[in-house]
Amino acid sequence: MNPSELTLLVLRLAFLLVLWLFIFGIVYALRSDLFGQRVRKMSTDAPAAAAVPFATPPPAPVPAGAFTQPSAASASAPTEQFSRQKAAPLPPAGPEKATTQTATRLVITSGTKAGTEFPLGSEPITIGRSSDSSLVIRDDYTSTHHARLMLWHEDWMVQDLDSTNGTFLDGKRVAVPTSVPLNTTVKIGATSFELRR
Amino acid sequence: MPRQSKPSTDARDAAPQTGKIRRLHLPQKLRNLELFLLIIACGINLGAVVLVQLGALGRIDTTLVLLGASLSGLVFGMHIVLRFVAREADPFILPIATLLNGTGIAMIYRIDIANEEAGWASAAVRQTVWSGLAIACAIAVILIIRNHRVLFRYTYVAGFVGVLLLLLPLVPGLGREVSGARVWIGFGSFATFQPGEIAKIALAVFFAGYLVRNRDSLSMVGKKFLGMRFPRLRDLGPILVVWALSMSVIIFQRDLGTALLYFGLFLVMLYLATGRLSWVLLGMALFLGGALIASQTLEYVNGRFTNWLDALNPAVYDADGGSYQLVQGLFGLAKGGLIGTGLGQGRPELTPVPQSDYIIASLGEELGLAGIFAILALYLLLVARGFRIGFAGQDDFGKLLGVGLSFVIALQCFIVIGGVTRVIPLTGLTTPFLAAGGSSLVANWIIVALLLRLSDTVRNQPRLVV
Repeated sequence: MNPSELTLLVLRLAFLLVLWLFIFGIVYALRSDLFGQRVRKMSTDAPAAAAVPFATPPPAPVPAGAFTQPSAASASAPTEQFSRQKAAPLPPAGPEKATTQTATRLVITSGTKAGTEFPLGSEPITIGRSSDSSLVIRDDYTSTHHARLMLWHEDWMVQDLDSTNGTFLDGKRVAVPTSVPLNTTVKIGATSFELRR
Repeated sequence: MPRQSKPSTDARDAAPQTGKIRRLHLPQKLRNLELFLLIIACGINLGAVVLVQLGALGRIDTTLVLLGASLSGLVFGMHIVLRFVAREADPFILPIATLLNGTGIAMIYRIDIANEEAGWASAAVRQTVWSGLAIACAIAVILIIRNHRVLFRYTYVAGFVGVLLLLLPLVPGLGREVSGARVWIGFGSFATFQPGEIAKIALAVFFAGYLVRNRDSLSMVGKKFLGMRFPRLRDLGPILVVWALSMSVIIFQRDLGTALLYFGLFLVMLYLATGRLSWVLLGMALFLGGALIASQTLEYVNGRFTNWLDALNPAVYDADGGSYQLVQGLFGLAKGGLIGTGLGQGRPELTPVPQSDYIIASLGEELGLAGIFAILALYLLLVARGFRIGFAGQDDFGKLLGVGLSFVIALQCFIVIGGVTRVIPLTGLTTPFLAAGGSSLVANWIIVALLLRLSDTVRNQPRLVV
């Protein structure tokens, strides 16, 4: 079998084509990296928000319908680990710093998942819309990589990662890494949380 | 990390609460995507070998197709291992590495056909065996290192191993000199190995660990000058030590490329750790100064510079150790044009060492500009994935390690391909994954394994989705 010139030409063009299709296939699969994570649809019915047994009402009527998990990565953490807290008495707010010793959990105080808590270890926590963040917040106001909670020696600090809508610590916009006191609201988009004992 | 495991009372989980805990079956979306891309990559590799045979021999021979299939088998083995021990690892790294490795084997095979070599004399067969060994090493790394933070514990051991591996070729009796550069070790007349390739991984681990521990003193203090904060004189110690190390590589091992690789790696990781541009400027000034002095005093460096600047001068072209190879490579690239001569239909064997240092010129001749750009795009994607892993990482050691390891691949590509295309003076380094050479393959597949492990740890952290 001796292939003709034409066969070889067609085959070699086809090879280059397949090579490029492979590359564009990868780029297509990576599109969420380039354009950010898809924004969750906001609908008006709020069954979950009504079920929140928590004193602090969400400041904006943020509904919790259409909960979608767009990637396998975000589905990897089973929800059992994040237990909802029931009727926890609020400790008196004070200027005490949140350190690895004093703060043990992050509690969502407003937003669709108000009342949910998240264990704090001694590792930094990233917050944003991308699925590789530790605290994934999917709404219109959150940037892909919005902010992070990091440790300065033992103290928890919040750092805004150049987000579009800003990170607010006790109502003030965070410009430089700022240490977070216990029981003080950190607000990101329509979600706010506190670090608690 | 302590986790509370109280039963969830989440509204969504309220319905099936009948006392029995059901295990969620999560489809491995990332792994399935990886499998899909791997099948395509292996198909392209097979297609490349078949095209080489059709172009150069005019018939299809089953020997290397079988060898290629065994390589595919190993890659699928790695994929299965990932399904069990690193489910959340990045799905693009493995297919890209597979495709680059396979393209390299096809090209080396094509040059073997031109040189009429077969069996164990054939570089393609040896490259395939090395690939198998390299993938086996990668699987072992994935299995042994279950968390990249283990490496942080061995920071100084890694630094020591790195320097030791660098010095190994200078040991009399063990070191081998190949075309001027003393960067090889060999036992008897066979089994030569380039320990510097493994050293770059050890050094990346060391730099990452060292900088995480000591960066405060390197970034906080210093005088402001020209709008930049320059470091204090006594904080210059680390950079001077690494600079001295790279200069001694230039002088004693006569290898410009390796020196540039190590120094560039350190500089980039220093910049990442401190965020200060003054370190980069200082380092570049140091290296350029050193290289200029070397080009004046060391004959071989001077020769490289002459070949680079005055390549098309007939006197330089005909000189012993002149620019013949460089110019032949350029002729090959020019012959390739936009879409290339087709696999197996060019004359890449006219360039000296077309299967290792000059594999990019060979590929450029047979696949053309379109093919070269495809290969560069693959490198770009691979390196971008590594940077992405570093960016998404939570701990600083992981960040530095991820970016450092992928930057090594990027810088190595730049040094080799820049040398072949006459952007910078030519230095002997291997093109990652493509070029014939076992040590380079082993090192790069270990980098792949480490990046996969890092990406798995990044995605596997406790997560709350709001």
